[in-house]
Formats: sequence, C-alpha cells, structure tokens
Amino acid sequence: MAELRLTMTAEARNVLTDLLRLIAPAAARVSVNRAKIPDSDSELASFWTESLSAQAGEEARLLAAAFANAKGDPAVIILKNEAQSLAFLRALSAVRFALRELVFSDIPDSQLEGAEDLDDENLPNEKRHALACYSCFGLLQQSLIGQIDS
Amino acid sequence: MAKPKIKPEIGTEKVVSVSPHWNVVVLNDPVNYQDYVVIVLTNVLGISHTQAKKYMLIVHNEGRAIVWTGKLERAEMFVLELQQWHLSAQLEKNG
Repeated sequence: MAELRLTMTAEARNVLTDLLRLIAPAAARVSVNRAKIPDSDSELASFWTESLSAQAGEEARLLAAAFANAKGDPAVIILKNEAQSLAFLRALSAVRFALRELVFSDIPDSQLEGAEDLDDENLPNEKRHALACYSCFGLLQQSLIGQIDS
Repeated sequence: MAKPKIKPEIGTEKVVSVSPHWNVVVLNDPVNYQDYVVIVLTNVLGISHTQAKKYMLIVHNEGRAIVWTGKLERAEMFVLELQQWHLSAQLEKNG
C-alpha cells in the first residue's frame, strides 16, 4: 500500500493538537473503564488491564507525534505504510471515545451518531468545541478509511 | 485343543467435549464508523470483507453479533484484540 496523506488547515491542526494534549492522558482510563474485562481470573484481568493501558499510551504518543510533525499550511500527516495507517485509524477511534466519555457523555447515543449535525448554540462553548473536534477526528478517520479501501 | 470362543464385548460411546465453547460478541456503539468496524473485524478475525460486512450489519441492526465461537483462550485473545481496536466486545459462554 502506498503512503497515505491526511491534510488539514494549520488552524485545524493547532486546535486538534491542543485538544489532544488535554484528552490523551485520560484516554487510557477511558479505554480500561469501557472494556468488559473477564474478572474470574485476577492474573488475566491484570494482564488485560495492562495491555489496554499500554495500547492507549502508544496511541497517545502516535497522535502527538503525527500532529507535531504536520507542519505548514495545509498541514499534512503522512502515513508511510498499512501498519502506520491502521494504527493511526485506531488511535483516532480512541480519542473520539475519550471525548465522548469525558466531555459529552450526557448526549444520547442516537444523537451522537449524527454528531456532524449536532452543533447546538445552547450548549456550553467548551462542549461545542469538543463536538467540533470530535467531528474533525471523525473526518480524518473517514478520509483514511476511504484511502485504505481504494 | 481348540480354544473356547469368547465373544468380545464391544461397546460404543459418544465422546463429548468437556470444554465449553465461548462466544466473542461485538456490541453496537455510537462512535465507530461502519467501515471502521469492517476493517477491524477483517484484521482481527482474519475473515473476508464480505463476512465482516455481514457481521457489522447485524451489530448495527440488532445491537450485537456473535462473530466467533470456540475455545476460551482463543476467544479471550480475540476479545482483548477487539477491545484494543476500541470495539465494544465481550466474552460469553456458549450453552
């Protein structure tokens, strides 16, 4: 598979980078809390928890490095091979889940599926901002999926 | 001297596996895109795109789908991997 590219404006890159700094440290906790971990074997449960936490840590580092290296305007994230692309795709899913759990867990699932149309002026600015970023991360995911599939 | 003929007693019995099978279940979630779920199922379970799409649609329409059944250790591995891809997956005893 040839290298894949994700392009965004420098402004979008800066906004998403700032948000990632805030949300990434909590992503591991969200990942572990969401998971249904078998509890019949404490050794297995411990291994399971450590695996999910380690995975989340790697994803946070991957996203931070990718956004930091995307210089210029437009800013371009280059993914050199399939493994990198899939890892990035997975990391974007993690950050969307973290936003969902930490910032707008009160929004019902049915509404969140159409999050692109969810801009509500009555919502607090912080939440609107997070929703906009959530949608941006989703657009990056969709762009990547489209490129992987083609 | 001829040996007495002894009719051997031959019986058969069913061999039943004592280890129960386990289901790997994927639950619907509001965050992951349908195409993402197909990519994950294809990569983790090693199934075809067509089969993965079929499972994804069951998850989407019915809220859950059994995507694999088999021995506990393998089922645990699949569930952990699916969770690492951020799908809502869980283990269930089959029967």
